[in-house]
Amino acid sequence: MRHSLAFFMAVATGWMLSQPVAAADSSADTANDTALLEQMAKLASDDAALRKQVLFDLAKSGDSRLEAFLENYRSGSVYLWNGQIVVCTETEEDEDFNELAPLTHPLTGEPVLGEDGNQAKPDILDLEDMSPDRAGRLAARSALFLLKLSSPDRESRLVAVKKSGTPPYNAESIPFLTDMAENDPDEKIQFTARESLLLIRLGTDVPLGQAQERWAAAGQLAGMKSLRALPVLEELLRDGGFSKHGQAAREQCENAVASINSHQSFVNWVGYVFQGLSLGSILIIMALGLAITFGLMGVINMAHGELMMVGAFTTYVIQQLFVNHLPEGLFNWYYVVALPSAFLAAAFVGWLIELAVVRHLYRRPLESLLATWGVSILLIQSARLIFGDNIGVNSPTWLVGSAEVMQDVNLPYNRLFIITLCALCVAMIYTLINRTKLGLRMRATMQNRDMADSLGVNTRRIDSYTFAFGSGLAGLAGYALTLIGGVTPDMGQNYIVESFLVVVTGGVGELLGVICSGLGLGVATKVIEPMQFGDFTVEAIWAKVFVLACVVAFIQFKPAGLFPPKGRLADV
Amino acid sequence: MLKNYIKTIGVLALVGVFGLAKPLGQAADTVKIGVLHSLSGTMAISETSLKDVVLMAAEEINKKGGVLGKKIEPVVVDPASDWPLFAEKAKELINQHKVAVTFGCWTSVSRKSCLPVFEEYNQLLFYPVQYEGEEQSLNVFYTAASPNQQLIPAAEYMMGELGMKKFYLLGTDYVFPRTANKVLKAFLLTKGVPEANIIEEYTPFHHQDYQTIVGKIKKFAAGGNACVLSTINGDSNVPFYKEFANQGLSSDDCPIMAFSVAEDELRAMDVPPLVGHLAAWNYFQSVRSSDNRKFVRAFKSYCKKNKLPGGSKRVTDDPIEAAYFGVYVWKAAVEKAGTFDVDKVRQAVYGLEFDAPGGKKRMHDSNQHTLKPVYVGEILKNGQFKIVWESDGLVSPDSYSRYLHPDGDYPKPTGGPKKKG
Repeated sequence: MRHSLAFFMAVATGWMLSQPVAAADSSADTANDTALLEQMAKLASDDAALRKQVLFDLAKSGDSRLEAFLENYRSGSVYLWNGQIVVCTETEEDEDFNELAPLTHPLTGEPVLGEDGNQAKPDILDLEDMSPDRAGRLAARSALFLLKLSSPDRESRLVAVKKSGTPPYNAESIPFLTDMAENDPDEKIQFTARESLLLIRLGTDVPLGQAQERWAAAGQLAGMKSLRALPVLEELLRDGGFSKHGQAAREQCENAVASINSHQSFVNWVGYVFQGLSLGSILIIMALGLAITFGLMGVINMAHGELMMVGAFTTYVIQQLFVNHLPEGLFNWYYVVALPSAFLAAAFVGWLIELAVVRHLYRRPLESLLATWGVSILLIQSARLIFGDNIGVNSPTWLVGSAEVMQDVNLPYNRLFIITLCALCVAMIYTLINRTKLGLRMRATMQNRDMADSLGVNTRRIDSYTFAFGSGLAGLAGYALTLIGGVTPDMGQNYIVESFLVVVTGGVGELLGVICSGLGLGVATKVIEPMQFGDFTVEAIWAKVFVLACVVAFIQFKPAGLFPPKGRLADV
Repeated sequence: MLKNYIKTIGVLALVGVFGLAKPLGQAADTVKIGVLHSLSGTMAISETSLKDVVLMAAEEINKKGGVLGKKIEPVVVDPASDWPLFAEKAKELINQHKVAVTFGCWTSVSRKSCLPVFEEYNQLLFYPVQYEGEEQSLNVFYTAASPNQQLIPAAEYMMGELGMKKFYLLGTDYVFPRTANKVLKAFLLTKGVPEANIIEEYTPFHHQDYQTIVGKIKKFAAGGNACVLSTINGDSNVPFYKEFANQGLSSDDCPIMAFSVAEDELRAMDVPPLVGHLAAWNYFQSVRSSDNRKFVRAFKSYCKKNKLPGGSKRVTDDPIEAAYFGVYVWKAAVEKAGTFDVDKVRQAVYGLEFDAPGGKKRMHDSNQHTLKPVYVGEILKNGQFKIVWESDGLVSPDSYSRYLHPDGDYPKPTGGPKKKG
């Protein structure tokens, strides 16, 4: 009702809308645009059937600029402003916290200019809402997917092709799919379009005469190893809609399920192994620093988790510097700059801790445990006071998404990155400790301090370096963890126990032990987690319980871990 | 040396005299209210904002002359995310500080921990966070959603509006998600969703590795028309959404409807991969009204003025609104009753109508909860929600879910104007 006046105004001023476009486009396009805008103006009508018709007409025009418009219409971002149809997706806030709506053109997406020649930004409360009702939203959604089938953007097409294969089917999409299955430039889309067509055939009830073809689709889908077909087939088998089709149809479906499942179980195992590797590499990278400070130096550093937090917050600070002071195009580089920064910041904090606290407590593990725990509380609360609790680190865009290495196996880039980083760190530590003079002195100091001292090693300085190095590694772990999890002042608490677990299981003082136990724990957790025993699925909680129980049992039999120190060292 | 001591003692004595004199002088025209929110520990991330907004409400009320001519004097204590400490701090507020009312708690376990204290001393607690229901204490007013004001409408939206047929109920392992999922599952089953299309799964607190679960969701959603109903709480949300996006899933493949992610939590997240996912609440910062605009402006200015972390970048959300109007509900009830007496104030709360930032709301006539509108919002790039659905008027709260007690066999609301003292 309240729209009706606006509706007439909108139609009347429809031609005005095309004016800014006219300057940009050729005259043929202008006529087309005017027609589209006139169609859009009808969306302000009170007639629901007309609105629905308009949406589908718009979709059939195949104009990809309408994708944004339909999406905006569905989510209620289309408004009437002085009788014009305008779009505002996100509002802005002025100094007085008023919510302003920067307006854009519904078709071109270009800013709508106000009287002063700048983008019009009226108060959001002054716009008239054109939000569709439920039926309107549903219509806009299916119109959008129909339109996206002819989108130039690969991702949009892929989504639309997938959607067309799920019920409720849209009969209008079938000619598009048939065409795309043959002619789409992208192989994956061709594949998905074929899959969708078969799924539609499989999912549509047909007269008995054509049933042959319907059930043959099951076999073809099995040949494609289609994961999407699996739930459809399982549902068919469960509902038992076969009575009229007989045993043969049933068998066809059962065979298809078996064949897809056997492919899936292979995919699953690839997945478990990768997930285990990934979790393992995270455990290793968390424990590496500890392997130095606890393993080599024997300091129980409860602030280890907080050193990770320092690394993560350094990453955040670098990100903010980039966001606030450098052009947007350079944003992705923040993550490169943050790598050394996180290491150095955490190393510096570690160096301070060693200087102020740990140095006085060598060979007194209990006191150092308590003192470093105090330091950890201090660090957590300082971070909370300085940064507050809610801060977000955005992954650089080149680490978002995944590589599809084979059908249904996606390896996320962030996890691949962490595995690589972990391998590099291990290589670096190995070289440092076993191949350099500094490493030699480190080992000498840790093995027999007095002897090293008397041979001219500055053990005081070596202690300090070693602790700072271990802390820096913790900082790197924090840096890597921003890709996976959240950044909060007390994030270190989540990781500290697991880090100790890895080091203790591996055998204190052995790099190889850390690697083996990290990978072992990671893979074990990931293999156990999805296991099923009858009706009971293990899940994350029980996997954790089970792995911890195993570690406890293991430590009973091998108290010194996987790789216990040998020879004279064992007696120290 | 001695001189210094004398000086110190002198200063201390002076401070003592003034320090004591001040509260004595004030006692007549102030009324104390307790603020029982964790300011340290794991829950500080969420609860600090509620403390801030309660203090802001008190300041606003004081500027306009206070309650019954008395200035509000908030007493802030820090139960430090330590559940038993909530009970002790509640006792401290009641016995030592003699507060007239307490605003506080976030997790259900903290509420359950201090509930016996409020019952023992017959004191009032205003509880501002959506919870699992199945509770009815005369000493608590629940200003946030009961399950039928958040879970059920959200599930209906997923089925009706998005045509979802398969539901993955994923939560953190504690009482709210477990009960919430019980309610959801019972609801879905009555709506004819086959049991095989519902998966229920839990992860421990602070769970960081969602690879296996996202892998499962991917298979679950492969056939389309599947969604996740998430009651994942706190810091586990970040790794969950990141993994979800990185394994190539989007809100088109499988939308996530979250019950514990609001604007305040989004500040800590990498928002771009979350765009298009959903949340159901009774209030969003993006609710369009001039009252809400005033509220948002007031909160941001308050945070900026008091140099709180985040400053003017702070946002409002559902629990913040509920904590805020809780103070006003109490004020209105006190003024209606004409006294701070707990029993009289309680009677005055029932059926109270009031203007909240998110619009007009009403307290239930008998069951301690609040009648509220329900909204479903889609996450935007700027960390705000686009409201895509709203309920038809206010939804009346059920303290005991009808889906868990289909035969109506549950403790009947015991409040209401008839019962006295």
